[in-house]
Amino acid sequence: MRVDPFFVVNLSGALDQTQVTQQTLTQDLSSGLRVNNPGDDPVAAAQNVQLLNQIQRDDSFTQTANLTTGALQVADSALGDVVTQLNQAITLATEANNGVLNGSDLKSISGQIAGIRDQVLLLANTSYQGQYIFGGTQVSTAPFSVNASTNPATVTYNGDSGVNTLVSPDGQSIQLNVPGNQIFISSTANVLGTLNSLVADFAGGLSNGGVADLASLNTALNFVSQQRVVLDNSLTRVGLASSAASSESIQLTSVQTNLMQADIPAISTQLSLSKSQETALVSVIAALGSGSLFDKL
Amino acid sequence: MGTVNSALSLITGALNADQAALNVVANNVANASSSSYTRQVPNWAENQPVTINGVAYGSGVSVSGGISQRDRVLEQRLQQQRQLGASSSALLTALTTLQASFGTASSNSSAGNVGSDITNFFNAYSQLEASPVSNPLRQQILSTAQQLAGDISAIANSINSQQGSIDQSVNTVVSQVNSITQSLAQMNHQIQSLSPNQDAGALEDQRQSDLAQLSQLIGFNQITTEQNGLSIATASGQLLVSDSASIPITTGSVNGVTHLFLGSTDITSSLAGGGGQLGGLLTARDQALPSTLSSLDQLAYAVSTQINAINNAGTDLVGDNGNAGNVFNAPTQVAGSAQAMGVVMTDPSKIAAAALGQATGDNANAVAAAGLANQAIIQGLTPSNFYANLLSTLGASVSETTVQGTALTASVTQLQTQRDALSAVNLNEEASALQEFQRSYQAASQVFTILNSIMASAINMGVQTAVS
Repeated sequence: MRVDPFFVVNLSGALDQTQVTQQTLTQDLSSGLRVNNPGDDPVAAAQNVQLLNQIQRDDSFTQTANLTTGALQVADSALGDVVTQLNQAITLATEANNGVLNGSDLKSISGQIAGIRDQVLLLANTSYQGQYIFGGTQVSTAPFSVNASTNPATVTYNGDSGVNTLVSPDGQSIQLNVPGNQIFISSTANVLGTLNSLVADFAGGLSNGGVADLASLNTALNFVSQQRVVLDNSLTRVGLASSAASSESIQLTSVQTNLMQADIPAISTQLSLSKSQETALVSVIAALGSGSLFDKL
Repeated sequence: MGTVNSALSLITGALNADQAALNVVANNVANASSSSYTRQVPNWAENQPVTINGVAYGSGVSVSGGISQRDRVLEQRLQQQRQLGASSSALLTALTTLQASFGTASSNSSAGNVGSDITNFFNAYSQLEASPVSNPLRQQILSTAQQLAGDISAIANSINSQQGSIDQSVNTVVSQVNSITQSLAQMNHQIQSLSPNQDAGALEDQRQSDLAQLSQLIGFNQITTEQNGLSIATASGQLLVSDSASIPITTGSVNGVTHLFLGSTDITSSLAGGGGQLGGLLTARDQALPSTLSSLDQLAYAVSTQINAINNAGTDLVGDNGNAGNVFNAPTQVAGSAQAMGVVMTDPSKIAAAALGQATGDNANAVAAAGLANQAIIQGLTPSNFYANLLSTLGASVSETTVQGTALTASVTQLQTQRDALSAVNLNEEASALQEFQRSYQAASQVFTILNSIMASAINMGVQTAVS
């Protein structure tokens, strides 16, 4: 059986191979990543892109949610103040309607209700970070203005009925605002209009239509509370979506880390095996490469 | 007739034969390290016996040079595997360079990573939903857009320049192929005239060495012709060398790329599947790189046109109701859109976050733009999934080529070992052959000495001398 005289020379090829293996393993060790190129593990590279996409989307939504929570809380507390003011107005109007007050008292009540109306107007024109929150999608101009020259005074709405939604990573659409014409001057319940009527009712010292307007004011108060619930719902949903997003982000980050991270103990073992293989090869080459029959001639 | 004279000349012949055999051994030992050398074995031939009156008298031995120990079939098989190995190796180099332009993100998004850029861009629109009139959020959309466009066009540029450098390599390889085929033709001519009926020894070694070099460069088939000639044809059958005539491969430019011609036939696509460096380079240049570039073009085209369409169907901050302008450079066709991708919008207030006819605080258009991230806008995949697919396809071809290359290297090594076992010089064998011929020479010279003294006795016959 014939033997290849160059086989010791070919062993150097195997030696090169062990050094290449060591290089690759060392690179994995220093970068801490198992997959440094798409070719190392194509499926993992693709999964990595998709996981990072999801993680970054969740993180971005958490930031956005903080911003919207602030705005919703401001809107919610403004409406809370409106409810307080309206309750006060109802007390005053009830007092005025019981028939025992004289003309100047009625005029004084009218003045107080006018003050409450101005307070509610201020609240309706609340702004958050320079944007008016009750103007629908008209955020740069104050939504409500009152013309006190007429009797009763007239309210003008300068905003619109636009509603913005926020889309969460899991696809929910969360309402971000309630337009002012739905809260303060809608056809179902007209807060500012009713207040203006009450002011006019009691201004002349008489209580014409005060009872009917008081009933309207009660309806309006209930309606405002209902609109407040819409905002509270949105607050809750944003909070839930935000915590769901951040916990998903944490889970996915650990999945992604496990996918991409180099298994340090396994690499260290392989590296030492490769090193001992290299040492063995070197001594084999040195021992076998010497001597032929010519030395004995 | 058995005379002392004829014995003397017979033994002289033996001495010459031993010398010639020693010559062959010395030649083997001298060429022992040469990888293309084929060891020779002395060709001992018994001389024709002389018959006189029905009695045959032997006439000794002669050595007429050496016989090369060569297996043509084995060598041909080795060349074929070398061609495949060279092709796989050239392709792997090109693919490795290609995949390096993409990189892989770790847990943090890194600059130059298109996957993160896509995500960040659509996230910027999501964030705008909360506060559509915010200038910093609008500016963020423009800066993430610039990052995305910049990274995609940088990768496209690097792919294009890689194609250009492969093109140059093709030209270099072709001129090398042409010079080898020319030398092969001359070699064929020499061999056919000098030893048409038997192995050509050192000339054949030279021819095999040329073939080995050619195998690294191009894929070919060998056909042995009459009188020990050789024809070389490409893997798809076009002749490169026909006995003593060689046909050079010419280059020409077609659509900005170098194409290869034999006469007037365009052999580029048939060479791509052939083997050798040319096969690998042409496969990379004409299939692998264009396929990745085309996917990148589709990504750039879809994102640019869809975002531009959305921006032109909304209201921006400065009162444009529809036709607010393009965010990205509008591509005219899919091919080339990756390289040309860029952001043309400079004013963040021209981003149309509001729906058509709505006030500036509306966010419906921003919602629509952010929603593109989840829509199957590119070949039935979302932008992020499309990019993931691009990466995994590229990675799979790198991985496949690597595995193939390893298998081919092992196969070439095995065939090389087999060939060397047969044809390479084994010093131990040569040493023992040397011993054998030395002994043979010594024996022959001893016989000569004895015959010489017998001759002296014969000449001195009848003269009174003491025996000496």
